[in-house]
Amino acid sequence: MDDLKLLRDFGRQLEHEPPPTLVRQRDRLLRSGTRGPGRRRLGWMTAGLVAAATALAVAVPALLVGGHNTAGVATGPLGAKATGALNVLLVGTDSQAGTERFRNGARTDAMMLVHLTADREKVTVLSIPRDSLVKIPSCGGKPAREGMINSAYDTGGMACAVKTVESLTEVRVDHTVEVDFSGFAALVDALGGVEVKLPQAVDDRAAKLRLPAGRQELDGEQAVGYMRLRHVGDGSDIARIKRQHAVVMAMLKKAKSELADPDRLREFVTAASRAVRTDAGLNVDTLIELAGAVRGSKVSLVTVPWRPHPEDPRRVAWQQPDADRLFARFR
Amino acid sequence: MITQPAVARGADAELINASLTEPEAFANLFDRYSAMLYRYASRRLGPEPAEDVVGETFLVAFSRRTSYDLSCPDARPWLFGILTKLISRHRRTEAARYRALMRVAADRDVESPADRVAAGVSAQAAGPGLASALAALPAKDRDVLLLIAWGDLTYEEAARALGIPIGTVRSRLNRGRRKVRAALGDTNPLLGEE
Repeated sequence: MDDLKLLRDFGRQLEHEPPPTLVRQRDRLLRSGTRGPGRRRLGWMTAGLVAAATALAVAVPALLVGGHNTAGVATGPLGAKATGALNVLLVGTDSQAGTERFRNGARTDAMMLVHLTADREKVTVLSIPRDSLVKIPSCGGKPAREGMINSAYDTGGMACAVKTVESLTEVRVDHTVEVDFSGFAALVDALGGVEVKLPQAVDDRAAKLRLPAGRQELDGEQAVGYMRLRHVGDGSDIARIKRQHAVVMAMLKKAKSELADPDRLREFVTAASRAVRTDAGLNVDTLIELAGAVRGSKVSLVTVPWRPHPEDPRRVAWQQPDADRLFARFR
Repeated sequence: MITQPAVARGADAELINASLTEPEAFANLFDRYSAMLYRYASRRLGPEPAEDVVGETFLVAFSRRTSYDLSCPDARPWLFGILTKLISRHRRTEAARYRALMRVAADRDVESPADRVAAGVSAQAAGPGLASALAALPAKDRDVLLLIAWGDLTYEEAARALGIPIGTVRSRLNRGRRKVRAALGDTNPLLGEE
């Protein structure tokens, strides 16, 4: 029998059909390759990606305070750590806190580092993809290991998240803000819902969400569901960050029209104070004060420069030295 | 069949040329050949590394598209050449794959290779022998053998893919085939030549 024919038959037995996920590689090509002429430019300029918590901790309060009569908002004295350059770690968590699956609280679904310059002229919001495969230092009773950055929070709570971010970026974290997604839903509801334009219809059983394409008015629960969808687009966290951004933008737009009325404003701030958990040094009043200080500043939104992880394209690896260069601006 | 020659739908070279001014056009090349390359890579490396390696192949191809020889209408040899280089970075994965295939079949098959040849071998039965032959082949010989047997490239195309003279393709192929036959229990030296 012909050896080449045998070899061919053998090959056919070993063959796999291309999986649907192969389309991710196409996206990878479009994302990286076809942006710049002949160069592999990855991720870096996906600026303008911002996750839900930003709206709460920076954008929304800034909007609330900025340009409005602040009489309705009690502004206490500044906290000790509210002066000088400031880094705030924002963590958006899901609402399964305390369940057995997540011993120490919740999983983080969104993570970002907000940097305020000492003169408050500039605010930089840095989104950290939760799929980042990174070195997590020993904390929460677990030894140092390689893992997804969002697992740090589950291992040892906010302390572990801070330690991880600090060790990776060498940026000191001064304050923390934690946002729970159910709290976020309440915020959207306090605004009377948001209008988001959906590029395609959504029918996701995991998120229990069905929406037609086009402009949609979303209530809090739907907005959170939409932001957290995992199984649309290329399924990456990057796609999700984009949706989070869209919802936040929609909230800002809505807030502008809704919150001109001082009573509505007060109502909203009350809801915000319930939705946000901060470290002891940073209460809601301080947050609002800070927001007031940054109202005139230039806000830029960036994402940690990343590329698909070489060993697992569904994970993200930080692109060096670009990432370090960016972190240096936060130090 | 594993390959889909570029007939009757515009040459690949035109696409690549278009992508010089309009980078998005390059995605069409992906649509044309990613499945074919995936199938090939999945044979050599298994499903998961195959996905990554195919993605890499197109990234590399894109970054090198300016140096593509536009007189070659068919881009398959070029893409297979890049893919082959990238697969060679996974040599250990590939070797482990063949070794595993040897073991699996060896567990349930106690016939001697000679018996199998005599009985008119199916690829199923020949699997362990073929796997061990592939595992034992020098990488260069294996690349040629598999580009031709699994990638359905002609000698000329394989030569272009690997950037070697066609005579070298022939000699590597013959060497590879001889070892495969030996592993299958056929030691007749007369069949070792074309």
